[in-house]
Amino acid sequence: MALADPARRELKAVRWGLLAAALVASPVVAGVVYSAAAATGLAGFGPHGFSTDRLTRVLGEPAVWESLVWTIRTASLATLLASALAVLVAMTFRRSGRVDKLARTLAVLPLPVPHLVAATTAVLLLAQSGLLSRLGFAAGWLAGPADMPPLVYDRAGLGMVLTLAWKELPFLALVATTLLATRGAALEETARGLGAGPWDTFRLVTWPFLWRGLLPPVVAVLAFAAGSYEAAAMLAPSDPLALPLLTLERYTDPDLARRGDAFVLVLVGLMLTGAAVGLHEWVRYRTTELRG
Amino acid sequence: MTAAALLIEGLSAPFGSAPGLEDLSFEVRSGERFVLVGASGAGKTTLLRAIAGLAPGTARRMEVAGHDVAPLPPERRDVVYLQQTPLLFPHLTVGGNVGFPLRVRKVARAEAAERVQQALSAVHLESFADRMPRTLSGGQRHRVALARAIVARPAVLLLDEPFASLDPSLRQEVREAVIAIQREYGPALVLVTHDLDEAGLLGDQVGVLLGRRLAQVDRPAQLFGKPASLEVARFLGIPNEVPGRVAEPGCFQSALGALRVSRTIPAGPAIALFRPEAVRITERGSMSAAVVELRHRVHQTTAIVDVGGTRLEVALGGTRPPAVRSLVQLTIDPDQIMTFPPP
Amino acid sequence: MSGVLSAGRIAGLLGLGLSALLPMVLLAIWSVGDRWFYPALWPSRLTAESWRTLLSGEGRLWAAGATSMLLAAGTGAIACIVALPVGRALARLDGWRGHLGAAMTFLPVAAPPVALATGLQFSFLSLGLGGRPIGVLLAHAVPAVAYVSLYFTGVFTGFDTRVEEEARSLGASAGQTFRFITLPLLRRPLAEGFALGFLISWAQMPLTLLIGGGAVRTLPIEVFAFVEAGQDRIAATGALVLLVPALVALAAARLAARGTEVAAL
Repeated sequence: MALADPARRELKAVRWGLLAAALVASPVVAGVVYSAAAATGLAGFGPHGFSTDRLTRVLGEPAVWESLVWTIRTASLATLLASALAVLVAMTFRRSGRVDKLARTLAVLPLPVPHLVAATTAVLLLAQSGLLSRLGFAAGWLAGPADMPPLVYDRAGLGMVLTLAWKELPFLALVATTLLATRGAALEETARGLGAGPWDTFRLVTWPFLWRGLLPPVVAVLAFAAGSYEAAAMLAPSDPLALPLLTLERYTDPDLARRGDAFVLVLVGLMLTGAAVGLHEWVRYRTTELRG
Repeated sequence: MTAAALLIEGLSAPFGSAPGLEDLSFEVRSGERFVLVGASGAGKTTLLRAIAGLAPGTARRMEVAGHDVAPLPPERRDVVYLQQTPLLFPHLTVGGNVGFPLRVRKVARAEAAERVQQALSAVHLESFADRMPRTLSGGQRHRVALARAIVARPAVLLLDEPFASLDPSLRQEVREAVIAIQREYGPALVLVTHDLDEAGLLGDQVGVLLGRRLAQVDRPAQLFGKPASLEVARFLGIPNEVPGRVAEPGCFQSALGALRVSRTIPAGPAIALFRPEAVRITERGSMSAAVVELRHRVHQTTAIVDVGGTRLEVALGGTRPPAVRSLVQLTIDPDQIMTFPPP
Repeated sequence: MSGVLSAGRIAGLLGLGLSALLPMVLLAIWSVGDRWFYPALWPSRLTAESWRTLLSGEGRLWAAGATSMLLAAGTGAIACIVALPVGRALARLDGWRGHLGAAMTFLPVAAPPVALATGLQFSFLSLGLGGRPIGVLLAHAVPAVAYVSLYFTGVFTGFDTRVEEEARSLGASAGQTFRFITLPLLRRPLAEGFALGFLISWAQMPLTLLIGGGAVRTLPIEVFAFVEAGQDRIAATGALVLLVPALVALAAARLAARGTEVAAL
């Protein structure tokens, strides 16, 4: 078997590579195509025949927008919290001693904990009759379960924010500590060697380096959090409904005609995911050069 | 400017958790270049980092421009350490990089801009201020790192093998830049290199780091001409080494016979060392030798000869090289023979 | 934050320790607590009943656990087999094409499971896969293959193909090269890839719910049902059973991967 010349091999490699990627992405693409068809009446439930009525109707519903805004806001808060903590952990424990290694291991330990387990623990802990409330009662701060501010099923979504942040922290901490351990340390030393004090070093050198490296994972984690079903199902309120829950609600609506609405939401969800993934890769593309 | 810019006395620095450098002492004046040589792993980088405050080290005295810096963190020592592979801040422009030391010293914007331009001029990169580091070549990065290192005019500049990863032409470029910037405003320069020729070219003083101590600190001419010990002489690569004994002052007995030597150590067992230049092929000499091999180098050809079992390397100067296997007569200059006690 | 044991660092260490270990401890207590009502801080009775039922092979948790185990193992295997060539092909892409490929591969991982399942439901139903374990397996495979592909892309990016070229120039055929040179080098990445695929299926809930239609009962689904029903003790038992293999699988894979430059996640 003669080896084709390098240019042709290169072309073959590119074709196979993109083909492989397309294969892996095909279920999502199929989902988008079908949802678009179902949302515009070309397939699925409800009246047949192409029409954008359903699209405009659903996208015009205030409940849908409330859901979307609430979902993104909750995911963003959780991600912000987790990112700040991750940077704090990475900076506080960036040396190579035993204490630092222990701290970093502990920070990353919850990484494989399933979302469901995290949400279950959160419910048991944060519900109005949960452990936290009982501790408050025992300490004399609360007179009864009703006194406990609702952290689950609440409009503010505090319980959900905390749980999502808890789940995101190990991953972001891992990325942050890896960044610091590789180039971060060298950059820091260079800055110190040039006369910068600890605060200036962080402000002018370490932080610019860190946030650029963290941006892609943060975008990814944000997308995950927004799409999370388990956390929403167990911790989120029923008004406004988180987007995954709203989608499911419409999809299982006994009124078959309304089921088609779900596909509009699915489309929205998949489009947003596509945008997030695109942004994620684009940022990675731009910052790889900077990280050298 | 005769005050010592850098004064080190009794410095010890560990290699990780193992014992490292012991009891090093030397002094460098402003405007002077101190070149540190030694085998790989000898601890040259550790020494520089200890002076910079980036690695642990203790000393009886460690002073920069008269101030005790031992208890001070790196940024307050008035010392700048430049790593072997220059690390430019990737998110800042060249101008931003070079201006960094001024920014952290809170120098006013206008003055800082001017000094950045001065520093860039010194390394011939005046128009590069707005470029990003990733668009620069290796040599350019080196020069930017140099400019950045001197812009704050530290009293002491520590350069760790600054020319090692450069090709010869680039090496010359950066070397000239280093000399130029030092002439600008005269910091004390401590330079690490493993290239002995470079040490001779650049150094006002050369320090040899061997066996975790400074085996010798001297002007290049003194060091190359009069190595202080056998180890240093071996480190310098002096090829002709003959064991024997000093029978009486001025006479060295060995397999080569009795050699006249101008300066000897006291009577007893000894090792004689001399350069190829110390041995010449003459019409009539004190010993006969058979030519075994000719060695052709860029600037010099030497002959390996056999004197009754002992191999010597002989410089040929400008004369026509003798044929291999021919017999020649040798004369060894008594002034150039060094004797040392055996190890 | 100067000294090794400054107040801030100690507080941070305690906080991290608490955050990492408290959930497990709490779940453990909940799993053996009987009649633990508000406002008691400790169960009034401890009972090992949930555990006994589980370990004796009875009850919903056991059945669901077995289902989950099979599905996860299957997903891990499929993911490895498919992701290996995919990852290798992707690793050959440079520059913007590489990023495009990575973005496409990332889509099934980032897509909200509800949206993904809803979009796929129709094709699964029409293929007769709805409500059946095989359907759920394939559904799990979608994000698993994608995630493990990304992982293998990383593996092959750092892979020096010159060892294979060396083998070929020494006379080995493509098949021999793969068997004697490539595969042994990939042992650890394969173990870790399997663990990743396993974990994605093991912890998966919405895909199972939608594609399985409630007929395929995996461990997460049962735990969820028990929580909704207020059966805290059984739910906590199930959650622990969910948790422990996840930790073990990943710890084992990372231990196996130690010494190689590739670290997952």
